[in-house]
Amino acid sequence: MMKRTIHWLILLGVAAALMPTGDAAALERCLICHQKHDLFKTEETGRKISLYVDKQQLENSVHAERICTDCHIDIVAIPHQKEVNAVNCKRCHYSGNPVGAPEGELYDQYEHSVHGLAVAAGNPTAPVCQDCHGDHDIMLHDSTESKMYRANIPRTCGRCHIDIYSHYRESVHGVESEKGNVDVPVCSSCHGEHNIARHEDPRSRVYVTNVTHTCADCHGPKGVASKYGIKSNRTETFEESFHGVAQQMGNKLVANCASCHGVHDIRSEDDPKSSVYIDNIPKTCGKPECHPEATVRFASGQIHIDPKSKESGIIYYISHFFLILTISTLAGLFIFIIMDLFRRAKSNRAKK
Amino acid sequence: MNDKIRDKAQQRQSLINDLTENIIDTTATLIDKGCDQELRDKMAAEISERINFEVNVTLNEMVTKYCPQKIREQVTEAEERRFLRFGVNFRIQHVLMFISVIVLIITGIPLKFPEFAISKFIIIDIFGGLDNSSLIHRIGAVGLIIVGLWHVFYSALSKMGRKDFWLMIPRPRDILDFFHTILYFIGRRGSGPKQGRFSFIEKFDYWAVYWGMVIMIGSGIILWYKEYFPKYIYDIAREAHSDEGLLATLAIVIWHFYNVHFNPEVFPGSTVWLHGQLTESEMKHHHPLEYAEIVEAESNEIQAERQTTDPSEENVK
Repeated sequence: MMKRTIHWLILLGVAAALMPTGDAAALERCLICHQKHDLFKTEETGRKISLYVDKQQLENSVHAERICTDCHIDIVAIPHQKEVNAVNCKRCHYSGNPVGAPEGELYDQYEHSVHGLAVAAGNPTAPVCQDCHGDHDIMLHDSTESKMYRANIPRTCGRCHIDIYSHYRESVHGVESEKGNVDVPVCSSCHGEHNIARHEDPRSRVYVTNVTHTCADCHGPKGVASKYGIKSNRTETFEESFHGVAQQMGNKLVANCASCHGVHDIRSEDDPKSSVYIDNIPKTCGKPECHPEATVRFASGQIHIDPKSKESGIIYYISHFFLILTISTLAGLFIFIIMDLFRRAKSNRAKK
Repeated sequence: MNDKIRDKAQQRQSLINDLTENIIDTTATLIDKGCDQELRDKMAAEISERINFEVNVTLNEMVTKYCPQKIREQVTEAEERRFLRFGVNFRIQHVLMFISVIVLIITGIPLKFPEFAISKFIIIDIFGGLDNSSLIHRIGAVGLIIVGLWHVFYSALSKMGRKDFWLMIPRPRDILDFFHTILYFIGRRGSGPKQGRFSFIEKFDYWAVYWGMVIMIGSGIILWYKEYFPKYIYDIAREAHSDEGLLATLAIVIWHFYNVHFNPEVFPGSTVWLHGQLTESEMKHHHPLEYAEIVEAESNEIQAERQTTDPSEENVK
């Protein structure tokens, strides 16, 4: 080990002497060491971290114009005098920065997100920018190789949230996402990006009373789900159901989309593993916290009922029967009242 | 109050008697010849009766012409006979019913329109959430079920209930009365139809409530015990409960409130639900057939009484 380090120091000394000058030169100078695949540092915890830098990757990234010390500001000498700290992206990416680094509200939201708060609380495993966006390979999110590319997001998040990723990958959304379908939701579609919050947090897009609106982005009247033969009135019919009404009245115990359809493991109703597969519905309704008394009979019938649609069968006819009954009765009574008042007015005039 | 009025009436009578005496005295020269005391008394009685009649008629006319409605009612009602329309039992049914229904409407209608801010205000801010308002709704429901059962037993077991229920049954005459009323409204008839104890309007009200009670209580029980029913039965019950609830509310607010509150005749509200009585003129106006029946029954009774007492009188003679 010692011998090897000495070798390196000699090499560095030679390299430093031959050092080209300028920005490109600075990169070359760092790469003398960092182009080696077997360059590692060992953390106190025993974890080995590769110090290899892929020049090609760096040149393809959004930071191609930057030199190493733009980000690694604590490196002032070769060999490095002390432990090199992690890069702080906020050095450039803050509101009103002079170098033109993209910034904005989104970037500031991170501090209040579940990840930002965890980092602030000193959790060493909580993700900072680099954990999601990458380091030397940061690319714009519309590039298919970007970690932030829509179809790559589940894998990016899944690096830490492995369990959830494994559920998601088998869900109806995950399967399509793997195929490269950009209509299906990935993690950030439901959870948000820099503003990700715990699901118990009322600010979260997946908080119990917000989840309906989040699903409605795709499954509502203007949603993309109708493209795949899924009815676009799912959230409307939910809001008309007792569950929906109760939720609008502030009840948080009542079922929302996820209570029945699942969360990361949402599957098509035709999938026998789905919680809303016809044979599984009694079990889904009969969850101990919902309707433990539920029987197979209790769960028999349509769920998302739209009284305005003929497909709802008898409900459609009952709702129309009452509509006609109400309108005709009230119109009749109203006309009767008006006629009565006119007649009274007339007789009063006649008396005078 | 009544004593005062009676005193006033006696005073007036004695004044009229004095006036009559005066009239007869001043014309004594015309009457005296060939006129005995008996005839003279008869004349005096007739004159006083006519004066009294004319005074009353003129008074009535003037009051009607110059005084607002309220005074007219007080003047005429005070001395009028009253007829019992709704007994105590029936009135308690009505009170329990409207308390229940108001509770049910306040806790029920907001759920029909959950997107309105007022609905959220009522349920969340006034009642403190759906759990509370549901509990209160169920208490109202128990009240309504009790009044429904009570009324069924009342109609079957009590004498007045049985009689009223029988009279409530719609008859062909009600259809004729309806068309008669429409013709009256459009000016083809001089007056509306003569009604018995229950007009076709009242029958409509009664049976509309009957229908509403059956639908609301039936579907409400299904919703209450939904776990014991298949979902499609629950769905039907929910649709019916929601729609009939709105219909009933609108019918009460528009129709019933017009009849008993906003109608110019009773504004700002009839008090019959409290005392259960109608005055003689109200009876003659709104239920002339029933009035005629009552009067006829009474005169028959009196005659029957006379017939039973007559023979004894004859014996005395």
